[in-house]
Amino acid sequence: MKIWKIVFLLEFLVITSLLLAILSFNNKKFQIIACDVGQGDAILAIYGDIQILTDGGPDSKVLDCLGAYIPFWDNTIELVILTHPDKDHFGGLIDVFERYEVLSFLKTKATSSNQSYQVLESIVGGKEVDTIYASDSLSIRLGKIYLDILNPIDSNEVSIEDKNLNNSSIVSVLKFGNFEALLTGDIEIEGINRLIMEGKIHDVDYLKVPHHGSKNNITSGLLRFSSPEVAVISVGKNSYGHPNKEVLDLLNKLNIRVLRTDELGSILIEVNKEGQFYLD
Amino acid sequence: MLVFVIRLIIFSNNLKNFNGHIIRISAKVLQEPSKFSNSQKFYLEGFNFYLPKYPQINYGDRVTVEGTVQSGKVINAKLINLENNENVLLGFRKKIISFYKKSLPEPHSSLISGIILGYKSEQTGIFWSQLRKTGTMHVVVASGMNVAFVAGFLMSILLMFMPRKKAILVSLVGIWIYSFISGFEAPIVRSTIMFSIALVAQLFGRLSFSINALFLSALLMLIIKPSWIYDLGFILSFTATASLMLFTKRVEKLLKWFPKYIKTDLTTTLAAQIGVAPILFVTFGGFNLLSPLVNTLILWTVPLIMIIGSVGGIVGLIIPGFGRLILYLTYPLTWYFISIVGIFS
Repeated sequence: MKIWKIVFLLEFLVITSLLLAILSFNNKKFQIIACDVGQGDAILAIYGDIQILTDGGPDSKVLDCLGAYIPFWDNTIELVILTHPDKDHFGGLIDVFERYEVLSFLKTKATSSNQSYQVLESIVGGKEVDTIYASDSLSIRLGKIYLDILNPIDSNEVSIEDKNLNNSSIVSVLKFGNFEALLTGDIEIEGINRLIMEGKIHDVDYLKVPHHGSKNNITSGLLRFSSPEVAVISVGKNSYGHPNKEVLDLLNKLNIRVLRTDELGSILIEVNKEGQFYLD
Repeated sequence: MLVFVIRLIIFSNNLKNFNGHIIRISAKVLQEPSKFSNSQKFYLEGFNFYLPKYPQINYGDRVTVEGTVQSGKVINAKLINLENNENVLLGFRKKIISFYKKSLPEPHSSLISGIILGYKSEQTGIFWSQLRKTGTMHVVVASGMNVAFVAGFLMSILLMFMPRKKAILVSLVGIWIYSFISGFEAPIVRSTIMFSIALVAQLFGRLSFSINALFLSALLMLIIKPSWIYDLGFILSFTATASLMLFTKRVEKLLKWFPKYIKTDLTTTLAAQIGVAPILFVTFGGFNLLSPLVNTLILWTVPLIMIIGSVGGIVGLIIPGFGRLILYLTYPLTWYFISIVGIFS
């Protein structure tokens, strides 16, 4: 190959990669993506170069979702949240911590004896990650994104090897302008009722349906108090019968639009600066 | 030939004798383990072992595993001991792959590590099923094509600095190092042996190099490792090469009127497909008619990805920031590659 051909080729590659770098960056809209990770949860929120990932799904599938929505030159995730240490929520985080630079890690004190959870802990331990324990007085601000923690009341009260980790799930409200999303982990009716009693559940736009649409995790009370426009169910092939038919009927009856990752793949919702949102 | 037959008989008897027994094997893992979402698979002394995903086992590690043999398969496999390989070249491979993983998102990083180093990633995502559908998987796993590029690249660079004989010798060393780093996969070894025969023939001034070299390398490989005869990669790579040798000229004649730019890639793909298609049809029950077209559209990116990616990887081990910038130059290429495969699947 002649020299001028090589120079021309390099110039072409420099220009196209710059072009792709600019095109992949978007600071006009806030994006919330329910990643298609099969049976499990992984919810990514992006504004500009800030990313918040809530749970990582069961395995490395989450990497495809991160790769598709985060600009390719950005390998830093500002905040990773683990709602509770069940495999379908933390499994993929092992790969996330291996590949991305994670600045902060928000979790509860709950642990798991699962072998992969030990792997996750040792990877996180070997990095300079700022670990934060969740409590209901905690509010986090990252650029224009606000995060309010509703549950658990106090991470120290989460017993370390609780049989049922679901009720200690981190429940949070993610805010951007007027837009609010309620992310519920796998919290169950008992925990939901407590949050309602304490007056913590209020009107939101977006609800991540608790526990992949299982029957024991939703009440009409939750739907009335949160009155979401869209309800997102993060679910894949499973033997538990998720999402439950009664749950779907209830959502339909209340005229809430249901979006399922097993039907739609990854679900991207974009919010503009005025707080209006639409499904991509 | 006789040696080969005896070796094969010993090999197949070994497998039958262990049925129902608990076995414990301590050996080096000689091929890159395949990774799945919850497990990893590797091959040891004639048996496939499935183990949990962690701790991760790498090509070159020494492992001790235990399990029960049942009709040729090992069940309840357990890892007793794992000794990481401290070899400099393998450490180099590991570091570069980890650098790719940290610098580029999925599936770009798997694509690059696959093309350059034959790294088998988990292959769970959509991209991998699209590769299978479009018949382009061979590009992403280690293949003979890689060795051809490395040999060609080394020769053309070295000839600028040294006489032909020296260049041939250095290239010979170069492709063997490459073949070692990229995990001694069947297609790579086949191709390395063949290129070595070709290079040595050139050294002695003989240009004749043909189907004989192919069969000689097949024979050599099977004497070393009889179990390869069941390896689909091995079978496919031989059929593809034989088919290339037999049909390239004829296909070229048929495509005379094609524009120069795409003719070479299209001819090569079509010629290889003549032999490979029936095997794919029998084993996978399907064959994508668009496959030659997709291959033609993406093949040109492969040498560029190999060159820029390896320069970026090596620089990245010394100055990570700068290496990453170089690596970003492959992004338009991998983006194009992934888009084309996506469109046609």
